[in-house]
Amino acid sequence: MTRFLSRALACAALLALTAPAGAQNASNNAIHLGVQSCASDNCHGAIKPFPNSHVPQNEFFTWEYKDKHAQAFKVLNNDRSKRIAKNLGLTDAATAPLCLDCHADNVAPERRGPEFLLSDGVGCEACHGAAEGWLGTHLSGYNHSANIKAGLYPTDEAVKRAEKCLSCHVGDSNRFVTHTMMGAGHPPMPFELDTYTAMQPPHFVVNDSYIQRKGRPNDIAIWAIGEAVAVKMRMDLILDPAHAPKGLNLELSLFDCQSCHHAMSQLQWGSRATTGLPPGHIKFFDANAVMLAVIAGQLKTPDSDIAQHMVALQAALGKDWDTVKSEANAVKSAADRLIPALVAHDWTRADAIALSHSVEASALDGDDVDYSGAQQQVMALKSIVAAMKQLGFANDQQVAALNDALMWLDTTVADDRTYDQGAYVWALKAFNAKLPQ
Amino acid sequence: MTRRLLGALLLLFAAAPALAQSQPAAQPPIGIHLGVATCNGSSCHGAPERPRNSYVRGNEFLIWAKQDKHHLAYNVLLDDRAKKMAQSYGLSEPPEKAAVCLDCHADNTAAGQRGPLFQLSDGVGCEACHGGASGWLGIHIAGATHAENVAAGLYRTEQPIARAEKCLSCHYGDETRYVSHRLYGAGHPRLTFELDTYTAIEPAHFVVDQGYIERKGRVTDVQVWAVGQAIALVKRMDSVLDPAHAPKGFWPEFAFFDCQSCHHEYGGYARATTTGLGPGAVKFNDANEVMLKIIAQRVAPQAAAALSEHMIALHQATIGDWDSVQREAAGVKTAAQSLVSGLAQHDFTGDDMRALADALIGAAGSDDVFSHDEQITMALEAITTSLKASGDIAGKQMAAVDSAMKAVYTAFPDSQSVQQDAFLKALRNLQQAMRK
Repeated sequence: MTRFLSRALACAALLALTAPAGAQNASNNAIHLGVQSCASDNCHGAIKPFPNSHVPQNEFFTWEYKDKHAQAFKVLNNDRSKRIAKNLGLTDAATAPLCLDCHADNVAPERRGPEFLLSDGVGCEACHGAAEGWLGTHLSGYNHSANIKAGLYPTDEAVKRAEKCLSCHVGDSNRFVTHTMMGAGHPPMPFELDTYTAMQPPHFVVNDSYIQRKGRPNDIAIWAIGEAVAVKMRMDLILDPAHAPKGLNLELSLFDCQSCHHAMSQLQWGSRATTGLPPGHIKFFDANAVMLAVIAGQLKTPDSDIAQHMVALQAALGKDWDTVKSEANAVKSAADRLIPALVAHDWTRADAIALSHSVEASALDGDDVDYSGAQQQVMALKSIVAAMKQLGFANDQQVAALNDALMWLDTTVADDRTYDQGAYVWALKAFNAKLPQ
Repeated sequence: MTRRLLGALLLLFAAAPALAQSQPAAQPPIGIHLGVATCNGSSCHGAPERPRNSYVRGNEFLIWAKQDKHHLAYNVLLDDRAKKMAQSYGLSEPPEKAAVCLDCHADNTAAGQRGPLFQLSDGVGCEACHGGASGWLGIHIAGATHAENVAAGLYRTEQPIARAEKCLSCHYGDETRYVSHRLYGAGHPRLTFELDTYTAIEPAHFVVDQGYIERKGRVTDVQVWAVGQAIALVKRMDSVLDPAHAPKGFWPEFAFFDCQSCHHEYGGYARATTTGLGPGAVKFNDANEVMLKIIAQRVAPQAAAALSEHMIALHQATIGDWDSVQREAAGVKTAAQSLVSGLAQHDFTGDDMRALADALIGAAGSDDVFSHDEQITMALEAITTSLKASGDIAGKQMAAVDSAMKAVYTAFPDSQSVQQDAFLKALRNLQQAMRK
């Protein structure tokens, strides 16, 4: 009880602390108050929902016990991190900005409130924004849009969520897992917005109240927008002067990992329309772009020239960096132009089924059956099935059958070392056989 | 008897026109390749047992035809794998017609250089290594000395330098033949080579006995190994210096690099302490250089220092610019070349060989690079073979060394990985077994 009391007191103290800043609206200098300021038992650290509450109230516990973001800082002290730090010439991963920028809510010291703990890892405000500005309005019962105005980050909007998640999960101008870091031991980073939201697991529940306040999310839209934003951000990484080749030295993190990291006994090259590359050549990571081209095909937009520009981008590596940049720009603007249409589109049952077939076709035409492609396709299908379930596009029996088929698909892409194109294609066909008519 | 006679007559007959043609030339003639059928008569090199009073075993053809993969080199081009490879590579003709394949998978000498019994389908036949026989077959059959045969155009495969040049012209590549990364990507298996070990596993169709030594001199396995490393490194550097392999845009010729530098699992942490490069950098295949440096440190320390200096600079240059790569590759080449003749003549003592084995085993412990481990293993094979041949290691010790060597091989579960712990343990045991 004392613990609860202290949390309630802390909450009140925070109110007092945040009141003046709330008036200033969203500010880049706003203070991060710390997980402690959200985790009180009468706030988001409750063990059961309050009567009439909009939300489960146990968001803190979901994060603390199930969400790896809560462990993001702690892993910096494990043996693997010690080894990575040593390989990189860092004294300590847990104090290095290079690591902290994604493994914690690494805001400047002057922006850390008294309860803020770096060791909380990727805490509430790393995604939801500094609470100094909006905690007051939030606690006082103002609506979602008032909180947003006061600086709450709109994680419910797919584009914004994608930008936030991908700022670490792909990287941005400040944060990027270079190949030097990979070589030092950092694991690879697969990502797909909708699947990763589900796996996190989410600490929100889509119920009537959520839909009223924030709209009804559609997993297909989240997937599609996630892919578009990922393509944009990947192109930004290519365009970033910091990642331009230094002499003969390419930033290898821009490339598809399995382009190189496959066993020599795994003969994987095939004639691929999506790359146009001859055997023995490495390719820029293109799994997001291949999916986006599939999605654009469904929208039947005249702007869907992403695929062509991706092929030109791959070929540009045989030319010069200016050509690489101009094609990266072309891919980026094609992705950019698609985003409003992806947001506006009402993704229907017919879309869901047609997209499943197109995802399958992108592999069955013997094209993108590379490991990274297969991995992205499986996550795409998971998102589509999630939408089918959520939006009632398929009945329970159909969803159960699709989920069974997804489990098989999942095992085929579980490990790049044992990945087998034939087994994957077989599981993909089995999945599509289960699709409702 | 009639058969043998017939064979010999036939051969003489086949060689005759070419011989006649070549007569006026003062230099050994450019040999016409007469074909395997001109060597494999039962009274020549196709004898089921050693002919009486013969210097050689007489069954060289049978060893080649039954045990030596060179004999199947052409046939594999007819396999499904080769067909698929040709298609992926983008060949417009089948592999058995394509020069890029035939140049190493057969004795692909020019059409005008093929005698009437010559068959491309014989694969890498006698004359692919021993040279076109038109110039020397006649005197060879007539009982000429080895020196006379050589003067008439027989290739000096018994000389380590010449043998290394010949084998590596395919097993690494030269200015006309090269397994590019595009060819690897299309499915060509990884090339790996060590002259002495590969001579043994071919298997060799010669026996080094008293007669051999009298005629051709004594060459030890460790000399063959050492020279093979130096020539391999020279050839590697030649390929780096070849303008045909300069980077195309941002695509380098990946075949220069150590395969496992990229083709490893995440978390493989392929650690190379020899390069000075940071994590995540792709490194040139330096296994031959690492071997040659170890050899040179024992027999020519100054050359070892120069070699090492240029190789480290070459590694650095691979993250710099192509001009620096060229400059340092030339430096490595010169350093390697300067060692060749000395190594061919160096009399490696038992102490030398044990010191080399110790250095090799030490290198295995300080690094975890597959291509190094592979070369270290083959080097130890050459060294232990030499120690056994000289009588230094015999009897019970020989059995112990053989069994320790076997354990070293067992640490390689397949052709592209090594179990590091088992490997290091096996090496320590071998070191123990080799002690005087």
